[in-house]
Amino acid sequence: MLLQGTDPQILTQPLLRFDMKSSVLDWLGIILKRDLIIAFRRSSTYITPLVFFLIVITFFPLALGPQDSLLSSLAPGVIWIAALLASLLAVESIFSEDFRDGSLDDFFVSLEPSFILVFAKVMIHWLITGLPILIASSLAAIILYLPLESFVPMILSLLLGTSFMSLLGALGAALSLGKSAILSAIIVLPFSIPTLLMGTSVVTFSLNNQDYSGFLMIMGAMLAIGIPLLCLLTVEALLLNYD
Amino acid sequence: MGSPPLFYRWSSKIMPWLGILAIIFLSVGLFWGLLIAPTDYKQGDVYRILYVHVPSAILGQSIFMFMAACGLINVVWRAKISGMILKSAAPIGMSFTLIALVTGSVWGKPTWGTWWVWDARLTSTLILFFIYAALIGLYSSIDDKTKADRAVSILSIVGLAIIPVIKKSVDWWQTLHQPSTFTLTSSPSMSPDMYQPLLLCVIGFYLIFAFTLTLNLRNEVIDRERSKNWVKQIFVN
Repeated sequence: MLLQGTDPQILTQPLLRFDMKSSVLDWLGIILKRDLIIAFRRSSTYITPLVFFLIVITFFPLALGPQDSLLSSLAPGVIWIAALLASLLAVESIFSEDFRDGSLDDFFVSLEPSFILVFAKVMIHWLITGLPILIASSLAAIILYLPLESFVPMILSLLLGTSFMSLLGALGAALSLGKSAILSAIIVLPFSIPTLLMGTSVVTFSLNNQDYSGFLMIMGAMLAIGIPLLCLLTVEALLLNYD
Repeated sequence: MGSPPLFYRWSSKIMPWLGILAIIFLSVGLFWGLLIAPTDYKQGDVYRILYVHVPSAILGQSIFMFMAACGLINVVWRAKISGMILKSAAPIGMSFTLIALVTGSVWGKPTWGTWWVWDARLTSTLILFFIYAALIGLYSSIDDKTKADRAVSILSIVGLAIIPVIKKSVDWWQTLHQPSTFTLTSSPSMSPDMYQPLLLCVIGFYLIFAFTLTLNLRNEVIDRERSKNWVKQIFVN
């Protein structure tokens, strides 16, 4: 149903119907459904970060030479840098289109908690950038000769890390709403350093057969604190545009 | 203090004292440190750059904490003046961080043999510099000053939450790659005649910060309230 690009009915249907009986979870579901439909209408939204990720990965063997020992020792850093840059690529579109066509105004006057709106937007951003990157990372790991034992820690660290990046990206997008896309990247990048350091540490530790669970726990803790804190600050940042 | 005219009158009284105190503390501290304090038996006279390097590094970090506190006040209580303080403190903190980085690398060349080492402290100071740059970049991109204050306040709160994590993660990362190279902390514990001038310098740097902050803040207040009556009264008469 999501992929029926030619069905005009879906656009005219009232996707956002205000209903007194609807709970917060219904509201979350409605926004997720609407945004997924919009994202799947334009394949570039989820294909661009994926292609960007794979192109960046391909550039490293071309620039550094194809020795497999060198590449496998650099693989954690290379995959993580490519993942961070690729997840920043789609950051600008998190709020800008809804802001431009006025649907963001409607969300804010709808009396539902705007926290949920931001959370749904973060989930959508993760679904269209983080998830494809997560899938493509195993491909990247193969072409960079990362040993098979390190696949699981890499996937786990990327799962936590890209989610945190989506949260940070939403804040950056909200703060630079209506401005250049590069601004949000510059705002977000310094704050993404702990994610990068710990994500690469997880994979490097697993390469050296060391215990990496501590880093994963801290990344999980950052995510757990980040979901309420960053979502609330993002709401605050969005409200700046409606004074 | 919250109202701009009151702040303006109050600050014009206190500013000369801040300036005089800063000059006294800095001149005594630097004279003592650079000329009288004993020469280090290992590093020779090179170590004397410490009397500029250490206070500016301390200031670079504590100004950020101060800014984040102002940011929190601005977001929670919408106190306008705290946004202005945040804005006025940012370039000062960035300059001190830059001074710490530059003097650190000048110090590193003769003692360590390189301008730069990927040591945990150096790296986290560099990241702090980037965060200052992000805050100032964000501020300058928004035309409406009150909105820009609030946006920077929000970002500085994130910075406050994330800076301890950055420090810890950089520590772990550094110990992973290069276990025990050079750290500033491993230098022999300082003798009192080296430590006392340093203390004076740190106080002097704090006073300089207070002085320049008041100066910046007065400019900011006048700039934002230029259409108000009390500003006209001051500048016309």
